[in-house]
Formats: sequence, structure tokens, C-alpha cells
Amino acid sequence: MKGRTVHPIWIALAALLAALLLSMLVGSVSLSLVDMARVVAARLSGGEIGADLRVADTILFSLRLPRTALVALTGSALAVSGAAYQGLFRNPLADPYLIGVASGAGLGAVIVLSLRWGYDVAGLLAVPLASFSGAVLTVLMVVSLARVGRSLPVTNLLLAGVAVNSFAGALTSFLLLRSTGELRRAIAWLMGGSSMGGWQPVLAVLPYWLIGLGILMTMGHALNVMQFGDEQAQQLGLPVETTRWIIIGVSSLATAAAVSFTGIIGFVGLIVPHLLRLLVGGDYRRLLPLSLLGGAAFLLLADVLARIVMTPQELPVGIITALTGTPFFLWILRRSRSLPYWS
Amino acid sequence: MKRQSVLLSVLLLLALLVSACTSAATPAATPTASPIVMTDGLGRTVTLAQPAQRVVSLAPSNTEILFAVGAGSQVVGRDNFSNYPPEALELPGLGDFMGFSIEQIVALNPDLVLLAEIHPPELVKSLEDAGLTVYYLKNPLAMEEMYPMLITVGELTGHKAEAEALVTQLSLRVAVVQQKLANIEERPTVFYEIDGTDPSKPWTTGSGTFIDTLLEMAKAENVGRAMDSQYGQMSIEALLAADPDFILLGDANFGVTPEQVAARPGWGELTAVKEGRVLPFNDDLASRPGPRLVDGLEELARLLHGVTLP
Amino acid sequence: MLEVLHLTVRYGAKPVLKDVSFRLADGEILAVIGPNGAGKSTLVRALSGILPPECGSIRYDGRDLCALSVQERARLIAVVPQARSLPAGFTAWQVVSLGRTPYLNWLGQLSPADEELIWEAMRRTDTQHLAHRLVGELSGGELQRLLLARAMVQATPVMLLDEPTTHLDLQYQIGLLNQMVEVVRQPIAGNGNGKAHQPAALVVLHDLYLVARYADRVLLLVDGCVQAYGTSAEVLRPQLLSEAFGIPLEVMRSPNGKYPLVVPLMA
Repeated sequence: MKGRTVHPIWIALAALLAALLLSMLVGSVSLSLVDMARVVAARLSGGEIGADLRVADTILFSLRLPRTALVALTGSALAVSGAAYQGLFRNPLADPYLIGVASGAGLGAVIVLSLRWGYDVAGLLAVPLASFSGAVLTVLMVVSLARVGRSLPVTNLLLAGVAVNSFAGALTSFLLLRSTGELRRAIAWLMGGSSMGGWQPVLAVLPYWLIGLGILMTMGHALNVMQFGDEQAQQLGLPVETTRWIIIGVSSLATAAAVSFTGIIGFVGLIVPHLLRLLVGGDYRRLLPLSLLGGAAFLLLADVLARIVMTPQELPVGIITALTGTPFFLWILRRSRSLPYWS
Repeated sequence: MKRQSVLLSVLLLLALLVSACTSAATPAATPTASPIVMTDGLGRTVTLAQPAQRVVSLAPSNTEILFAVGAGSQVVGRDNFSNYPPEALELPGLGDFMGFSIEQIVALNPDLVLLAEIHPPELVKSLEDAGLTVYYLKNPLAMEEMYPMLITVGELTGHKAEAEALVTQLSLRVAVVQQKLANIEERPTVFYEIDGTDPSKPWTTGSGTFIDTLLEMAKAENVGRAMDSQYGQMSIEALLAADPDFILLGDANFGVTPEQVAARPGWGELTAVKEGRVLPFNDDLASRPGPRLVDGLEELARLLHGVTLP
Repeated sequence: MLEVLHLTVRYGAKPVLKDVSFRLADGEILAVIGPNGAGKSTLVRALSGILPPECGSIRYDGRDLCALSVQERARLIAVVPQARSLPAGFTAWQVVSLGRTPYLNWLGQLSPADEELIWEAMRRTDTQHLAHRLVGELSGGELQRLLLARAMVQATPVMLLDEPTTHLDLQYQIGLLNQMVEVVRQPIAGNGNGKAHQPAALVVLHDLYLVARYADRVLLLVDGCVQAYGTSAEVLRPQLLSEAFGIPLEVMRSPNGKYPLVVPLMA
């Protein structure tokens, strides 16, 4: 085992804390630390928020805190799912969107957006609800196309995923062409920038996140065993098919819930596990919890960048993560000779 | 040292989290004489204790209306595209349809945020969640529906009398145009180009838009009505078949000139090109639901019928 | 005692094993030989539960293996596969430790007893010095010994070895088979259920000259059927083998006179 003076978990935790703080401190309006401290003190003591502090209070607690929470939840869900899928499919290019979550969520959202719901509770909930349903239904479709009896062969999953993804993508493009009015809104959503703020998204995502990631965290050993192939894994006593169903199921739930509110954010699920593998190796018992922390930190940093890079405009965070993709892959390519994780 | 700062950060974060769960006590609002209660374009009830003194306008049309009714000095922020009147450019730009900085809007401490139909419901909710008062102006479908928008904004900002005077003035101007057009028999066909980046399929507008309404009021035939959508692309072949009398360049603001149009492949065959009836048009006069729509109508009457107006 | 009765396995419509029956007693080494496509690897996969039998039964001490869960079956049967495409990022120690999977909880936590067992297995297979090396750096022979150690650690009464000598240099072939014999004769300390009885080993071999030296009994498979089953003397007969493999083969005595040696007849 690699011996380290500081366990990587602490480093990851520290990185996450730093990212969380940064996300709270940074925005298109700069708040002084003094004001922030005064607001926190006022709230904790149950006293009145004076008029001069109201702006800082609103910005901190109505805007930045819920957004920070949502971004952290999304980043961690994407990174852990990405790591799990890379292990499940034994493929370094696997990411959480492989079997339809993104294309399904996008299609669901665009369908509702092209119907032009009004402004009321139902109308606002419609987009996240439709994208969640779209994501789940698409995964179900992929799975039912791929299965052979009770088993889920990996190759079938990959092929069915490719087919369904392109079909859903084509439908989405067609709908986008037809609904010129909502085009901007749909494109912004698809790029990973949903403007729905507040605590409702966080509360909606939380149960799926807890269940999904809670179960995925226990899958480290199983994923390790599965690196030897389905046959050897089964011969070693691992119920391969059941494991695969579970991982796909909970991972889809967690990522579907996350992207329903934040839009499709790419590259997190791909990059973060790879980066962590380079640092701590391919043992999934370590990789999964580290991906949780690292994914949250990564997306928080990307979100901070999205907020300050073109102020006052806030870029969709998906653009930032996509822009980091190219240099990342080039770097991986250069180091690929020393990449010992894929045979 | 490292341990200490980590500990400090953890404590700060915990403090933030805990205080998020407590509710802030806000000072009681002082009661005023007569609060303003109105229903906005989304059916929401909006209440203002007094006329709004710090207004943020997130649409160019709203900015124009605010200045037109005399509330220009009460506007504290605008969207990036608000450019008329020129005084508006001095106000801080807060973003555009790609995204608004809610933080900066909050930092301006507005008592009213004016939205238009180009904004999604999510924006309304985000602004409400940040504790702001939002009024959403729905698009008018006819000139008569534009006038109440001006009155509404006048009421919201304490300039009702001015707004009413403005409405009277605008209606008069419209009446003048209609009277001058009353005796004119011909209805020229018009192609209104919104975007000609792809000359084989230029974008135009169908029925149901302001431009279409204005063209109708200016006694012109909008060839774009052949399409069944509000905005769409018409192929150059269909355009050649329709052979409009006039081509109005709504993208003139982006630098498109009649010379460029004449040089496009296939466009040289159009009658309007051959007879020099490709005319630039300030799209802001026809696409922003506000008082300048009347300017747009007058301009159309001048360009298409040669009407002289005071 | 492993009992296989009338085992028939199909790939789709095509039968690959037809009515195969044999027995494997504790402490016994059975060599399975036959030409390519005879179904030798299929037999290993059927016994280890990868391929479901169409008919027939596989029993250990009377228990029907097909009725067991994947985990229970893995406590009875361990497989030493060919050392091909193993994930390069694992350390040797980690590879061997995975052999304890059937006994671990879902999180895969190893107890000190488990760790001791792993080290013992690595010592017995002469791989302990490789413990922290990565799989990608090791040779075929070293990897094969690791897989044997992994099966040892799985502490099962039945061990299946699928062509473990393929791709190995001669000295490593001999070494591996010697270690296999040693594992069978001197089982590694148990898995907690107290029994340290000698395991049985079924080894698929390609190299006929090794068969007699290492196997107690031999099973000759041709086209999915059992062509012969018995001691090496009974099965390793020139006419039988020549027919099975389609080339003229001669059986001679080894220089020390103890074992029959199979050699192709040169023209």
C-alpha cells in the first residue's frame, strides 16, 4: 500500500472547505469580511438585521448559500457516479451520462420549455420534474434494450446508451428548432445554468443524493473485484449482475436529481475521478469518497469562476467545465504512458 | 498553523450553516398613506407602499417607458441592451438574457424590478427569493394594449399624470398617421429582414409580432405572413416568388447596408433591389413594446407611402 | 468429493459438453486434456457457475452447486484463470487479497487473520517479494503464481486451474505445477470452518508430457464428450490419443521409468 504522511482524505476535506468558503465569499458583488461577520453574528443572536446589512444578508443567505449547497451536491454526485461508471464499464471514457441521464434530462426539459408553462408553482416545477422524469425514463429504456434475461452485459449497455443518447439528442435538437421563442431559455439550461435559486432545489435533490451516494460509497470493494472482469468477479463470489443493477440504479437517481436543477454539466464526472486516480491510485474504496469531496470542490471552483470571469454576467458553469476539458485531455494524453490503470 | 486555519474555516462554515437556519428579524415597515396594489402580467399581485423610487429595468422596452413617463431619475439599474434614451447608458448594466447578476441587483437596493415577457419565470422566482418586488409587463398585442403599459408604469413610479398625457399625445400621432393613410389605396408588399447572415434563408417575422402589427397599421402587406410561425426563415426562392415591393433591413443596426444586400447571390433579381427600394430601418422602433412604436409607425408611413409628418 | 453427473452445456443451440460425468475426490488431482474446442475451458466455466448446465448435476458432498448463491459457491470452488489482461494498477498483494472476497463483508474489510493467510499464500508461491509491485510490471509467470496464491487464499475444497501453464517458460510451468501439488497435499490453514482437509484440483492441461507426472487421474475430452477417464496409464494410450488429437502419437516411458511420456511420432 502507498504510505502517505497525510491521509488524502484530509487533503480533500481541506480542499472542499476552501472551495465552500470561496463560493460564499466570492460573487459579482464584493462583500467585506466585516459585513459578513456582522450578518452572521446578527443572525446567531436572533437580533435585527439593520438596513445597511440587509443587502449582505440577502446575498449571503438567499443567494450564495443555497447555490453553494446545490453546486456541492451536484459536483459530488457527478464525480462519484463517474468513478463508479468507469469502474463498472472498465472504460476510462465512461461518465455519468453514458446511459442516458443527460440526453433524457435535456429532452424532458426542452419538451416542457416548448410548451410554455405559465408562472405558478406547477409551471416552475415543471422543468426540473420533466427533466428528472426524462432522465429516469431514458435510463430505463437503455437498460431494457440492453438486458438479456436478468443480466446486463456491458457491451449492450454501451451500445444501447449510444443509440438512445443520439436519438434523444436528435429529438431535442428538433424541438429546439421548432420552438424559437424559448430557444434561449432552453439553450441556457442545456449548458448547465439553471437560474432557479433558493433552497427548494437543494431540498429536492437531497434525498436522492443521500440514498444514491450513501449506497455508492459502499461499492468500493465490489468495484475493485469487478476490475478483473465479470467471470473472475463472479468466481470470487461477487454477485455481478445484482451489483451492476444497483450501481446503475442509484447512480442514475442521484445524477438525474442533480442535473434536473443545475442543467447538464459535463466533464466533472470524467475529469475528477481521473485526477484522483493519478494522485491516490485506482482502489475504489478510496476513490469513491475522495471523488465525493473532490467533485464538490471542483465544481464549486468552476462555479466561482463562472461568476467572476465575465461579471456582471454569470456564465453557465457547464461552459467552464467544458473549457477545462481540452487541456485536461491533452495533459492526460502526454502522461498516458505512465497511466497504469487501464490494461 | 495549517490545523488552525482549517479549524477556523470549519467554525466559520458551521456558523454560516447554523445562522442560515435562523430567520432574520427585519424591522417593521412603516405604514404609509395609500399603498399601490396592482396585478402584473403573470397574474401576480404586486404591492408597493409608495411609488417606486429605485427601479431596476431589465428590458430595453421598460427602460424606454420609464424615461418616457418621466421616471428616468428613479431608475438605478438597467440590462446591458438598454440604450435609449442615451441617459440610460450611464446606469450600471446588470446582465442580459444569458444571465443577470442577482447579487448586483440586490446590491442596488431597488424597491421595484421591472421585467418583460422576454424573461423566464425562473428569473421572477429568483428575484422574489432574494426579497425583491417584481413587476412583469406582458407584451401588448396591439397598439391599444401598449398604452395601458405606460399608465401602469406611471402608476408604479408616481407619474400617472405624465403617463396619461403621453398616451394622449401618442394616440393623437397615431390618429394623424391613420388619417393621412386613409386615402391611400395601394398596399405595398414588404419583406422585413431580421437577420440575413445566411442570405439563402433570411429570418423574418410572421403574424403576431409588433412589426407585423405596425406593417398592418401602415397599410402594408407583410410577406412573412406566409410562414406559420412568429419568427422563421424564408428561403430566397420563396422571396423571389413573392417579389416584395420593399425590403426593410431590420438588421441595419448591425451594419447591414443595401449595397451588401444587392451583392447577395440571387438577390439582384428582386424588383426591390433593382429599383432601389431596399431601405434600412431602426429595428428598435418596431421590436420594443413602448412609446417608440409610434415612431416606428410614422417611419413606416414615411418610407412606404411617402407621407410627410410633422 | 466433487461429483459431476451427465453434465450437458449449450452455447445457444450448440451443445459444447455432452453427458460429462466424473468424480474428484479430496486430495486428488485430475488433469483434463483434449484437442482445441473439446470443451475443456467450458467445463471449468460450467463448474464455477459461469455457464448454467442444461441438464445434469454438479454436487459437492451431496450439495447441488447450482442451487447455491454466488458467494456460497465461491467458498467451494476457486478458479485459477490464465494470467491475461489483469488490471494493471493493482499491487500483487491486492490481487491475492481479493481471494478472500467470499468471506468478507460488503465493504471488503480484511481481518488480521485474513492478512496472515494472504502472506502465507504468497510465501508458498514465492511471490511475497512482489507484494508492493504493480501488476503491469510483472511477468506472466509471476502473475500466474499470484493467481494461484489468490485461489489458495480462497481456501476452497475444489480448485480449478484453466491452462495455467500456457504462455509460461518451461521452468515456470514445472514450478507452478509443483506448487499446485504442494497446495493440494499441504492445504493452507482454513477459512474458519475448521476443516483443513486436502482440496481437490482439476487442471486443464495442454502439454501432454506434463500430465502423467502431476495428475492422479486423467479425463480426455473430445468434442464435448468424455472419451476416456481413469489413471494416466489407462488414458494415455497411443491409439486413443492419436485418434483424439488427429495426429500419430507415441507413448514412451520416462527416463526414470516412472511416468508415461506422450510424444508426437516424427515421420
